[in-house]
Amino acid sequence: MMLNLFDQFMSPTLLGIPLMLLALSLPWVLYPKPLKRWLNNRTLTIQSWFINNFIKQIFLPMNTEGHKWAMLLTSLLIFLITLNLLGLLPYTFTPTTQLSLNMAFATPIWLTTVILGMRKQPTHSLGHLLPEGTPTLLIPILVVIETISLFIRPLALGVRLTANLTAGHLLIQLIASGAYFLFPLMPAVALLTSTLLFLLTLLEVAVAMIQAYVFVLLLSLYLQENI
Amino acid sequence: IMGGHDAGTQQQFTGVAKYFNSFTITGRRNCVLATYATIATIFLFFKLKPKKQPAVTEK
Repeated sequence: MMLNLFDQFMSPTLLGIPLMLLALSLPWVLYPKPLKRWLNNRTLTIQSWFINNFIKQIFLPMNTEGHKWAMLLTSLLIFLITLNLLGLLPYTFTPTTQLSLNMAFATPIWLTTVILGMRKQPTHSLGHLLPEGTPTLLIPILVVIETISLFIRPLALGVRLTANLTAGHLLIQLIASGAYFLFPLMPAVALLTSTLLFLLTLLEVAVAMIQAYVFVLLLSLYLQENI
Repeated sequence: IMGGHDAGTQQQFTGVAKYFNSFTITGRRNCVLATYATIATIFLFFKLKPKKQPAVTEK
């Protein structure tokens, strides 16, 4: 019996109807909106605390021009964290394992930062493509290298998130299958495998949150360079 | 003159180095633009170069 390890990454459909929209709208449904009351309840207080801390962390080093991006980057972070964490539940689909989704987030936002930088401060944007103090003979090579590294940024962003989540889900499925099939044969080994599975699940919870944070942090750094 | 690393901002560049150097921001910008222009020129040269037709001879 051959396990198909990649079925979990297929875009879900029901009777031919794609359920991707349902999967993507789930985070929106889960979060409470602000109340009209003077005092918030505990859920809203925790939510506001988290959002405020994130905004302080990311936007304090940035100049005031960049503060306009707070809503976009904060909502992106919450969206990615929720999608990643919900995907760790059994039998759920993780939209962020799809490269198309991650590239769709990374490429337009990265391109916006590059175009903004070229418009507002073209000299600085172009000047940063050559590191300061480069020896004369190395100038053309380094310009080419820096240009390539600039254009590879959206690809790196998208692939980093996709690869981390896909690898984590694959590992969880492999080790869980291993523990399940080993249990009738070698219970002691199955117990060790289950312990490993538990630790891996904890790691994947951390990776889910960290990868979403890294995605948004890198976008904010690219914005900082250009704004 | 104090010892230590010279950041390059106090250097007085003359000639071509005034416009093309890797220390000032405008120098770096000009180097980048010059590199792009050179690459574009080489690309266009090979793209627009007429291809040699072999001579047609009557047998």
